[in-house]
Amino acid sequence: MQKEEFSQICRELSSGSNHALSGAILPVVEEHLAFHNKKKLPVIWLETNDSGDNNIAFMNTTYPYLGRVFTEMIDLLYSNTFMAAQGRGALSILEQVSETYKGKFTLIVEGAIPKKDNGLYNAIARTETRFITALEAVTRLGEMAEYVVAIGTCASFGGPTAARPNLTGSAGVRDVLDREVINVSGCPVNPDWFVGTLAHLLMYGRPDLDKLGRPTLFYGFTVHRHCQRRSYFDNKDFAKKLGDIECMFSLGCMGPRTSADCPYRQWINHVSWPVKANTPCIGCTNEDFPDGSSPFFTPMPKKSTGKESGKNTSSQGGAKL
Amino acid sequence: MSKQRVMFSPVTRLSGLLSVDVMLENGRVTEANASGTMFRGYEWIMRDRHVTDAVYLTQRICGICSLSHGAVASYLLDELYDNELEDNAQYLRNIMFAADFLQNHIKHFYLFSLPDFIKMPERPPFHGQNPADTRLNPEDNQRLAGHYFEAVKAAQESHQILALFGGKAPHQHSFVHGGVTVAPTADKIEQALALIGNISEFVKSRMVPDTELITRVYSDYFRIGITPWQFLSFGLFRFGAKNEMFLWRSGVLADGQLYPPQLALISEDITSSWFDKTGAEEIKPDPFKPGAYTWVKSVRYAGRYFQVGPLARMIINGFYKGGTATMDRIYARTLETLLLTELVQEWLKDLKPSHPPVNQKSTPVKKEVTAVTDAMRGALLHTALIEDEKVVKYNIITPTVWNFSPKDGHGGRGPLENALVGTEIPGQDMLFTILGRTIRSFDPCISCATHLLDCKGSVKAKVVY
Repeated sequence: MQKEEFSQICRELSSGSNHALSGAILPVVEEHLAFHNKKKLPVIWLETNDSGDNNIAFMNTTYPYLGRVFTEMIDLLYSNTFMAAQGRGALSILEQVSETYKGKFTLIVEGAIPKKDNGLYNAIARTETRFITALEAVTRLGEMAEYVVAIGTCASFGGPTAARPNLTGSAGVRDVLDREVINVSGCPVNPDWFVGTLAHLLMYGRPDLDKLGRPTLFYGFTVHRHCQRRSYFDNKDFAKKLGDIECMFSLGCMGPRTSADCPYRQWINHVSWPVKANTPCIGCTNEDFPDGSSPFFTPMPKKSTGKESGKNTSSQGGAKL
Repeated sequence: MSKQRVMFSPVTRLSGLLSVDVMLENGRVTEANASGTMFRGYEWIMRDRHVTDAVYLTQRICGICSLSHGAVASYLLDELYDNELEDNAQYLRNIMFAADFLQNHIKHFYLFSLPDFIKMPERPPFHGQNPADTRLNPEDNQRLAGHYFEAVKAAQESHQILALFGGKAPHQHSFVHGGVTVAPTADKIEQALALIGNISEFVKSRMVPDTELITRVYSDYFRIGITPWQFLSFGLFRFGAKNEMFLWRSGVLADGQLYPPQLALISEDITSSWFDKTGAEEIKPDPFKPGAYTWVKSVRYAGRYFQVGPLARMIINGFYKGGTATMDRIYARTLETLLLTELVQEWLKDLKPSHPPVNQKSTPVKKEVTAVTDAMRGALLHTALIEDEKVVKYNIITPTVWNFSPKDGHGGRGPLENALVGTEIPGQDMLFTILGRTIRSFDPCISCATHLLDCKGSVKAKVVY
């Protein structure tokens, strides 16, 4: 499969059980690896300050299910969530694989990085004498990795962890590393966005990114553009309360300035998404989430600006309305 | 053998980051300090926000039990705004809540706990497993290892039920104050029935027999990791127009007696936690505090520690007659999973296809409310103090704060630390294996323990239960 064809599948506007993205990936990956004599993607996954929702979301991947991702796409060399090793054994694996795969592994970071007080608000492990902070681990491994992928909005932009008043001085991975970070944002990430990004890295290398470092494969358009309720918006038919079928701009929907393909891709085997559930999009892929989306049920023009969070936010990533 | 201090870090296969510092003397654990090493400060994050944001924002505390926070925040808002719940709303809420329990329990047993007892294939992410004390015969071992990825699918189907009615998962959208925003249409009910049928089949044909096999082969773990008979549950699954009825009762079990919980008896202590009380009213995080070793606080009921979680619920409700050891916690969780699959099937049949059952009132009738429920891993409490619908103060006490309490001001240990002390370690190579089994039997979730408390340390507001 050529890169263009893969990209086309990722962007395809289909949903439901015939959804093509994930179903199409695996046979192609297998073929691709064999043809190019490549190996699976070596991955080191660090959990830092977040809720763990992104690895929970990752376990919900369908076609491929998690088992096939593990056996056919990636070698998950270190992961606090999944690994059978524990204690010192786990830490020595981290030391060993980061050297063995230096320059070749993909570093996945799940969670924001506390910077205040030398990062003591998050230690990925302790020894008898000291804390190995997320700040130290991400800085060190970030320099050694071939690619750095931030999974979820906390790792990408700080997210809820860095919401005001941000007592821990938390920030996204891009703010602690002097290198390119691929941001696969979302609270949590949709597993397709993440597994699709991994597949792209494996087969074609770095995907095209928007201004916020997100793969344009999944973040190229706003939620609003493809929303099933767009015609209500165009006709100025607005919902009065949750449960109504009209456009939810009046109830705080962030769709017009949120880049994601939720209206088509949907969630958990593609069964639903927040607007289909009669609730507003709360803009969870955004750089200023959650402060810029809050209060969630207040229309966009009246929301707080998100500026008081002290986060370094720029304009949204050039997505088309 | 002389004294030896060992740092067990990281404790893998859990939610969040945990280290356990143990002292060994003559092959026995003589002290254990459980150290949660991440802090986010959700109670501060909630301040000055519109109180209705709580349903979505507090779910971000924890990815594996997100709906519990959404649920307790919804109960809190129901009382704050004086909402009336429809029957359909309660059924849908309970179906979603139970579906989230199912994915948690299935993942806990197969992904987190099972690799403590069986030999996993020697490839990532299972490479480097310490094979000490794997006792299953090769056929049984292979069969159970094969169920690992079947479990991922069953857990995914549980989340699919949640997403059908909740829009997405984790961090669902439709279980909000006033009810549920999604209409229980016939097609959704049918789809959910098909999914729960699959999950139920998995639980009956895999999870229950697999757990029972582990309980037989590792029966010595009915004598390891024992805790005293001190259990607490806030009850689970609401019914009634005002959330006034519980399906599973609440209770405090101590000294052989069962009492209704009185929330005014709950207090929190920061002696061993990285928090400092700087003023009369406020505590602040202090990662440099001497003598502290965790971000988790000590929570006490009437000055005593209590264990929370599936074992507590099952014992308090009379569903489990066993003991209080490591294997009891594992077995009780699996038996609870089975009960939940049956409940979801019943509730789906009781739903009446109709409009979205949500009716939110718009003006608060109170200024302060405390709401409680049980989450997957135990008792959960939210308190909000508001002014003009804005949060002045928001307090959260999560299950991890109960089970993973560090030493309090009197030097008293929490449930996990207590369960570890006294454990026999026959050989150095067995240390992490044995400790890991007991630690994971509590279903640790450190993401949820990352918050602050009311400095007065007690909860005095009116309670919803």
